[in-house]
Amino acid sequence: MKTLRQRHRHLLVAAILLVAGVVRLPLERGLSDELLDAGLLQPSVELETRQQVGQSLWAVALGGLRTLVATVLNLRADTFFQAQQWTELADAFDTMTDLAPRTRYYWDIGSWHMAYNASAYYQNRDDLPTLRRRAEWRDWVKRGTRFLEEGVRNNPDDWRLWANLAYFYSDPLKLVDDARAEEAYRRSWETGNALPFIERAMVYAMARQPERRDEALERIRAMSDDPRAQVPAMLALRYALEYRADPGRDPLELALEVFGSEERAYRILGNHYLDLNGRFPNDGVAEAVAVLENRLAIDEEKSIFRERERLQAMPIHPFDDSR
Amino acid sequence: MSGSRPRLLNPGRVGVIARHTFTQLVRMKVFYFLAAFALVLIGVQFLDLPVHHSPESTGVQLLFSIKSAATGTMTLFAVVLGVVATALLLPKDVEDRTLYTILAKPVPRLDYLAGKLLGVLSLIFVSLVIMDLLLVGVLAVKTNAVVAQQLAMADAEGWTAAMKANLEADTRQLGPTWSLQGAVLVVFLRAAVIASVALLLSTFSTSTLFTTVVGFMIYVAGFFQADARDFYFSGGEGMGMAGRIGSLLVAVVIPDLQIYNVIDSVIQGEVLEAVLLLKVVGVTAFYVLVYGFCSWLVFARKEI
Repeated sequence: MKTLRQRHRHLLVAAILLVAGVVRLPLERGLSDELLDAGLLQPSVELETRQQVGQSLWAVALGGLRTLVATVLNLRADTFFQAQQWTELADAFDTMTDLAPRTRYYWDIGSWHMAYNASAYYQNRDDLPTLRRRAEWRDWVKRGTRFLEEGVRNNPDDWRLWANLAYFYSDPLKLVDDARAEEAYRRSWETGNALPFIERAMVYAMARQPERRDEALERIRAMSDDPRAQVPAMLALRYALEYRADPGRDPLELALEVFGSEERAYRILGNHYLDLNGRFPNDGVAEAVAVLENRLAIDEEKSIFRERERLQAMPIHPFDDSR
Repeated sequence: MSGSRPRLLNPGRVGVIARHTFTQLVRMKVFYFLAAFALVLIGVQFLDLPVHHSPESTGVQLLFSIKSAATGTMTLFAVVLGVVATALLLPKDVEDRTLYTILAKPVPRLDYLAGKLLGVLSLIFVSLVIMDLLLVGVLAVKTNAVVAQQLAMADAEGWTAAMKANLEADTRQLGPTWSLQGAVLVVFLRAAVIASVALLLSTFSTSTLFTTVVGFMIYVAGFFQADARDFYFSGGEGMGMAGRIGSLLVAVVIPDLQIYNVIDSVIQGEVLEAVLLLKVVGVTAFYVLVYGFCSWLVFARKEI
């Protein structure tokens, strides 16, 4: 009789667990959605990741310790870096970011290893044929960039990651894409958390595209009252774009209007003219520098033009035809 | 009056049993684990990888390592203790015959169970508080060191004051924050759920090994509960009725332990808002009450 009563109890317990389970299902679901929306829950781990971390670490990750497994993998990745095992390193970072997709550090360092360290490694491999070096260099730059693109997809509100991506697109030593750089800087600026230099960097990226220069000038004019926009690079760009908009203007008069004094104009425009990596428009810059050198009686030996010739003779890009 | 039933859940009685359970566990030298935790915190200091490509990346990895290793160790301790200690206590009381002495007195079985669970949870809580204090201390020192290192590097690179302030704020977000305290509380909540599951298991099982093994299986399955639930609600595409019923059963019987994975996001620098933390506390209370009540239903009429 007692056994029967106990059996009834067990059935009652099973029924309570089922009813409570049904009651809590929508509550749990709602809470999960809320946590997911707040960025506090991460998507499920891919099957490929499970294979990469191995059974033992997978068990740890299953136990709610994904970030711990990512930390261990980061240590492993450092070993790959020391040994220059780039494919293993890239795979390790793919796994890390699958386990901890909200950690900016992994996206940042992983993309840097791929686009800079791995690509430079192949660039300097003199024992390889040039074509192979170039192909490997390009592949690793692209892989690093793609990795960072994945990073911003996972962290669209992270202004630093957007800025890093924009920097990759703008780097004259990499595969330059100014339109994408401008877009990435714009996304960084639109997060609302970015520092003022990001807006300036966006304008620089616009100015590097001939078809965007009119808009760049509009933007610069709109920022002209902002003291944070009065940095030398911005002023030099303003000069070049104003001159481009009205090539009939007197260079000296425009330079004095933008820079305030001949000495300041010469210093800033001189640096602008020497910045070959910047790829900025140079409309009217040579004209203004020539006039200013004459007025300030700059020695022929110290002439900006002579320095520019010297710089132009130096190689900039590892594989010039890929620019 | 002598025939009247004692009032259920008497705080004094529950407190005495909880205190006894706490002492019983302390005598099992569980606090030795704190030494292991301290060693983990010391060991992790050596994991500062020599990767310094920009001020914002400098030392950040070390902060992640400290937090993930510390919360990982806390989780391991809390979950293992939650399952094993709860699984062990009932059979041990039977073996020591303490259970008969207690239940021979006017102590309701509900009070006994509540006291036992409270004792285990108190021990986990106290241990986590001590570990948390150690973590906060180490993390505060390291965060200050990392910020100083980053600012020195930023100075060398000519960063503006605004850029440096932004960098410092970002890095301090990875240090000891209120969200991190919330995450440690979530470690405790997860242990509370798994301990109450183990309590339920131990009421109808007389084997500690069975309770421990099944407890850990439920712990692992808890991380898939949300997938089973989503699969059921999505209509179970590609699987028949049996698959749907199976996923529903998993979803309603097993607790959802994925919600406690907010710890991972907090380690990565996300902010855990108080409202969301309260909701997690609410769901945990629901689990503990349901599993606790079911434990009592089984234990109340159990022949000992």
